[in-house]
Amino acid sequence: MNDLATPRLSPATLSALADIVGAERVLTDAESAAHYGRDWTRFHTPTPSAVLLPGSIEEVQDIVRLAAREGLAIVPSGGRTGLSAGAVAANGELVIALDRLSSIADFNPVERTVRCGAGVITEQLQQFAEGQGLYYPVDFASAGSSQIGGNISTNAGGIKVIRHGMTRDWVAGLKLVTGTGELLDLNRGLVKNNAGYDLRQLVIGAEGTLGIVVEATMALARPPQDPAVLVLGVPDMGAIMQVLAAYQAKMDLQAFEFFSELALQKVVEHQGLQRPFETPAEYYALLEFEQLTGADMEQAMALFEHCVEQGWVVDGVASQSVAQAESLWRLREDISETISRWTPYKNDISTTVAKVPDFLSEVEQVVNGAYPDFEIVWFGHIGDGNVHLNVLKPDDLPVDEFKQRCGEVSQWVFEIVQRYGGSVSAEHGVGLLKKDYLPYSRSELEIDLMRQIKRAFDPAGIMNPGKIFDA
Amino acid sequence: MKVLVAVKRVVDYNVKVRAKADGSDVDLNNVKMAINPFCEIAVEEAVRLKEAGVASEVVVVSVGEKSCQEQIRTALALGADRGIQVETEGAVEPLVVAKLLKGVVEKEQPQLVILGKQSIDGDNNQTGQMLGALANMAQGTFASEVKVDGDAVSVTREVDGGLQTVKLKLPAIVTTDLRLNEPRYASLPNIMKAKKKQLDVFSPADLGVEVKSHLTQLRVEPPAERQAGIKVASVDELVDKLKNEAKVI
Repeated sequence: MNDLATPRLSPATLSALADIVGAERVLTDAESAAHYGRDWTRFHTPTPSAVLLPGSIEEVQDIVRLAAREGLAIVPSGGRTGLSAGAVAANGELVIALDRLSSIADFNPVERTVRCGAGVITEQLQQFAEGQGLYYPVDFASAGSSQIGGNISTNAGGIKVIRHGMTRDWVAGLKLVTGTGELLDLNRGLVKNNAGYDLRQLVIGAEGTLGIVVEATMALARPPQDPAVLVLGVPDMGAIMQVLAAYQAKMDLQAFEFFSELALQKVVEHQGLQRPFETPAEYYALLEFEQLTGADMEQAMALFEHCVEQGWVVDGVASQSVAQAESLWRLREDISETISRWTPYKNDISTTVAKVPDFLSEVEQVVNGAYPDFEIVWFGHIGDGNVHLNVLKPDDLPVDEFKQRCGEVSQWVFEIVQRYGGSVSAEHGVGLLKKDYLPYSRSELEIDLMRQIKRAFDPAGIMNPGKIFDA
Repeated sequence: MKVLVAVKRVVDYNVKVRAKADGSDVDLNNVKMAINPFCEIAVEEAVRLKEAGVASEVVVVSVGEKSCQEQIRTALALGADRGIQVETEGAVEPLVVAKLLKGVVEKEQPQLVILGKQSIDGDNNQTGQMLGALANMAQGTFASEVKVDGDAVSVTREVDGGLQTVKLKLPAIVTTDLRLNEPRYASLPNIMKAKKKQLDVFSPADLGVEVKSHLTQLRVEPPAERQAGIKVASVDELVDKLKNEAKVI
């Protein structure tokens, strides 16, 4: 049980933890530490003192009470697909992995809600909804691994935000174990509840710093009808915004995504996918819309013609089957996974939609100017003002040096973000990776209020300490 | 050289089909329909032959109700030159389809007819072969490679245990297997152009064919639900179960 190089927990503590969850669910081997101790970021070495796999809310509460008594820091862990090192245990913390809280129960067809354990995988909820003739609309590339608890703690966004909003919009209620081990039952599925502060909303996106989300009542939607996907080739960023405006004026889009030619090249090369068309384009826009009647496709075609006439679009394809719609989506959704081999330095930045082109060209100038040897992959949700700037590590550059140079780049990028009134983290959260840059998006007063809120939920300061801001 | 391609409108490959409650048929109400994947490969192959300068014209034909014009338009958007719909009602069995296609072959006199090896709804794998017999044309089925050479075509066939290459004298029939090619996406400009391409509609009577039914569908039922799996505690237990319960080793 003691494979870790530097075991930090006393035998008495380990035995007390084993009493709570069972000895076989207290993991201290190196493999478990690496597996449960970090998310998709690779900039920190995971060093959890132990990984715990509780099987009930009561067990989570018991662990937190023990940790509060002994002053042990906790990192809650879901599907660990985060991109800001929010679920990284790099300082000997206890990791509480919620995988076993995986029940889906109490489906309510009238309310269209269902109760999920924190460990329910996003895709499981999507499939459950489908089985009921409904739809869980928060969707992103890591839906096959990410968990509902983690989605809530990071207020996950994804590819359907333009139509369906973020995770926040689908949480009808949640249960939170606070830093003192108390259980809060927040909002209880109510649609209307103006009786005081909505603490639920405070917990959503708090990255586990206020407590551990152990259960949630999730709302479901009606499924989209016969969704069609277009991929359009666009000559420049300004044109992408024109295309977005043209389509949004006439249609309810489900999604409006963009990616650059370099992103497409990498995906086509490494995932064996087919290019949508051979006409060269700097950028690509991916649109999805429902076909409630045949008129929707007619409208989309008419808009395409208009965009071509205006010079905003050079070519485009339309899905003719569900299989093609899925293949076209992979051009966008596989980007993150594809570029992970270059240890990308990810920026997840946003501004208001209209400012995106100017903002992007300023950022590009800065990065290209300073580091002409870095490859930059742009993609993102753009329809909601959110773009992902990914700087790829040249193969021969050591990680530390790369990270340090990217840190300098980030500073300049974030100065631009600040000037545009944007956000340094649109949907990935802050974690460890972005906390130094939080002041570019939030005022000192705001951050100080956040600290006070954290103290109210977590007086001992044991809940994911050091994430978002330093206490 | 003129190429005739047959396409069928079927339930979209990615849709989970359900049986009707009364078990009379598959429930097609509000279900997404698409071009049969093997037929899509057939269209792609014909279009590639045209792009390579081998084919001079690609004619696409579909047998079915008016709604199958959607799939003909898709084929036209992929690069076929004109379309023919043979209008029929309800389900049509392979022999009838083959007879109707023979009528179209007589009208059009193509040098090459390309069909999918089977459609994913009926899974019959009969139409191409029946057409070959009726029209007295050579056939190369399950093609993974097609090379036209003068008045002959060599077809590499995917057969059990390997590949078989046959050389057929034109006019000939080819049915496509999955590895023949990867169909392209329909480009938006081509989808728009396809709307203006010629599409003729014939009735079976125009082709001198009487639609007769020789088959009756008795019942459609979903596959048995899979039993939940179990976890075994040890290798010994697994081996024991494989030996004594599953009796596979």
